[in-house]
Amino acid sequence: MLARISRRLAGLLATLVAASFVIFAAVYAAPGDPAVFLAGGRDKLTPEKLDLVRAQYHLDEPLVVQYGRWLGDCLHFDLGRSFKYGDQVADLVAARFPTTLALVAYATLLFVVLGVGAGILAAVRRGTWIDSAVVGGTTLAASVPSFVSAIALVALFGVQLGWFPVSGSGEGFAGGLHHLTLPALSLALGALALISRVTRQSMVDAGAADHVEAARASGIPEREIVLRHILRNALGPIVTMCGLVMAGMLAGTVVVETAFGISGVGSLLVGAINTHDFPVAQAVLLLMVTGYIVVTTLVDLVHPLLDPRVKEAAA
Amino acid sequence: MTHTSSSRRAAVAAGLVAATIAAAAGCSGATRNTAGGSATADAAKLTLHPTTTAAKGELANADWLLEDEPDSLDLDTQGTSAGRVVLTNVCERLYQLQPDMSTKPLLAEKAETPDDKTLVLTLRSGVTFHDGTPMTADDVLWSLKRHADPDMEQGDEFGNIAAMKKTGARQVTITFKAPDAMFFKALAGDAGIVWNKEQVEKAGKDFGTPGQPDACTGPYELSSWKSGDSITIRRYDSYWGKKPLTKQVTFRWAADSALVNALTTGAADGAYAESPNTAAALQGKKGIEQHYGPSTASLVLIPTERGGLKDAKVRRALSLALDRKGIAASGYGGMVQPWGTPVGSGAWGYEKPVFEAAQKAVDYAPASPSADDLATAKQLVKDSGADAATPIVIGTDASQGRTVIANAVRAALQRIGLTGQIKTVPTSQFEQFYSDPQARADIDVLAGDWYISKADPMGFYDNALSDSSNNWVGFKDAAYDTEVKKALATLDDAQRAKLAVDVQKKFTDAAVWISVAQVPSVLVLNTKLTGPPASMAYLYYPWAAELGAKKG
Repeated sequence: MLARISRRLAGLLATLVAASFVIFAAVYAAPGDPAVFLAGGRDKLTPEKLDLVRAQYHLDEPLVVQYGRWLGDCLHFDLGRSFKYGDQVADLVAARFPTTLALVAYATLLFVVLGVGAGILAAVRRGTWIDSAVVGGTTLAASVPSFVSAIALVALFGVQLGWFPVSGSGEGFAGGLHHLTLPALSLALGALALISRVTRQSMVDAGAADHVEAARASGIPEREIVLRHILRNALGPIVTMCGLVMAGMLAGTVVVETAFGISGVGSLLVGAINTHDFPVAQAVLLLMVTGYIVVTTLVDLVHPLLDPRVKEAAA
Repeated sequence: MTHTSSSRRAAVAAGLVAATIAAAAGCSGATRNTAGGSATADAAKLTLHPTTTAAKGELANADWLLEDEPDSLDLDTQGTSAGRVVLTNVCERLYQLQPDMSTKPLLAEKAETPDDKTLVLTLRSGVTFHDGTPMTADDVLWSLKRHADPDMEQGDEFGNIAAMKKTGARQVTITFKAPDAMFFKALAGDAGIVWNKEQVEKAGKDFGTPGQPDACTGPYELSSWKSGDSITIRRYDSYWGKKPLTKQVTFRWAADSALVNALTTGAADGAYAESPNTAAALQGKKGIEQHYGPSTASLVLIPTERGGLKDAKVRRALSLALDRKGIAASGYGGMVQPWGTPVGSGAWGYEKPVFEAAQKAVDYAPASPSADDLATAKQLVKDSGADAATPIVIGTDASQGRTVIANAVRAALQRIGLTGQIKTVPTSQFEQFYSDPQARADIDVLAGDWYISKADPMGFYDNALSDSSNNWVGFKDAAYDTEVKKALATLDDAQRAKLAVDVQKKFTDAAVWISVAQVPSVLVLNTKLTGPPASMAYLYYPWAAELGAKKG
């Protein structure tokens, strides 16, 4: 067990180092000149001033040297200072990460409850109009891009009806819940189809097993059968999918954050990429990669606990 | 420190914005589609007032919106307009820009010029920093030297300074290598901020970042900056001047449709709209009023080194054939005004009637071209011998306004027998046109914008000096150069205005840049509130100190 965990950790670190270099190179190669944004106004863009700025921020050095400098600082737990804000990158990210995390957690709660619920309903009522309605409805919801659903939700529930605030992330738990409902909903909508489809399919597969037939024959009530025999066996793929979707969401909040004027790491990242704020872009992207890896690793670890068959295979 | 369509705007890519606006057009409420002309104001009827009616009533808290979170509250290292809108209520400068765009001494209670190369500043007494310590001549001198550092935003304002010395307990004397009329205007900008030396030094690299106190003397003090959430400023009880009506201002930020929605639903009390399209989207909403004021910002066509518009005759012809009124209506919802000079009327910080008359007399810049204009333009093109087959390449990004301008330029070129071709780059690359001659090598003219931070047209015209790095097209005129330098060294306002008008005529006659429109500054305010200036002075004047309820 210990060996397995240390193997995993080593793999995690290797992945992070590789990712950090790829990200660094990608931001470095992005079109546009960071010095332009650092120099200030348009009346200040003289060649001399730009050279001064490049020297000040070490932008005139080759990529590998810049990366080495960043990696060295990183090992001393120093993520550097933002070019744009002049503030410690760690502070900037720490201030915004809870907002994004809350948004993703809320959205996850929504798509798990609604998606899995709809999937179970469709599986149990397979072949009826309810089944078709669930499949059709969720497919429709998934085909609307999140910025469109965000705007539609704001227009209806925020501006017209005034039930929900139209921007910001709110104060305290209740305020946060109130502010984040619409953004979380527009994030969750896209995931509904996938989750409900996976749930439905794995329920149908599990329902076709012999022991389910046997249970039915022995007169156990249908409710009991669905919950204890079918759903339990179907949980593996469902949990895996929910984990993957949630991990993907960590990196996908950008659009929704912008539409609702929420300052999370998503909007921080976009700003950083547009202004070539290397240290910030680097830190946020790495955080997202880490988040993804952590969530998927957790899913891997939980999977055997849910499904004895996987455990046997692993052993 | 770009003011309109700033490069630093948290652009979730212009594409998203365009999609947002387009999608919102389908459902009422979010934002109004500004492209269709359904809700365009009539640009000609837009009247500009520098101020709003004085406020009578107290206000416990105002919720204010910025278009982006400030980068930093140290304007020496990062001078963005979002930071300035907040800090101008917290920090004070040696001179102050007034709502009518004139300047007068502020923290310097007296400013004397015994000769053209000496400025003696006598400091106001009884001024305290927000930590309670009195402002001294040492603080002032230290602040000036900090601004003058070439690494700092305002470093280039100090090029003509020979020495700065403390010459008395409350006196600082500045001597010049050459007379510099612009320096007085710079002291009303960020080059004139007085910092608390001890506090700035104590904070070190963290000065101006969230969690740090301010180091200033203004009517408000910084009470908190929660990174990524909000900035709050509250009334400073020991302020030396008039007590503001509004106790506290809370700043949050949102872009595009989120900003429009927050103002529409009353979640925010007010904002200074940086983009004309935001103002257009807010037209006619219930519960909010818009106030338009003069600003120095303008939309301009800037010809480049590539040389398609090297010939002044062709530039003049293009200027004559351009439909400025059409651009204002379909590109900017009528929120900009056809204009013939490269700086907006907010630059007229002195001798206003002189500049106003000169603006009316500008040739070659009709709002809409008449048949005569087009005939003259065609003749000019013929005289120049320009080759109609080689296309003139117009550089732009995908934003709505610039796209309309680029298309209008192409249409104007067609009208006068030339061909135009549009080259579109991503927004993140657009700013490079301004800095990188190599990026400009692909285009003949840029659909750009410009603004100056000083309320003086002469703060602009040095851009066309033969050796200026902003003179891309290589305009060369010895008489122009001489006159610009003379004007910059003339401290007397009336004389400088005369010279400036002359310089301006040379500039517009040669159509060094082709002016399209002036961009007014827009104050959006809850109908219950009033007081702040509507002019561009909001960047340098404590506007929150004037904010209050309409009813006392």
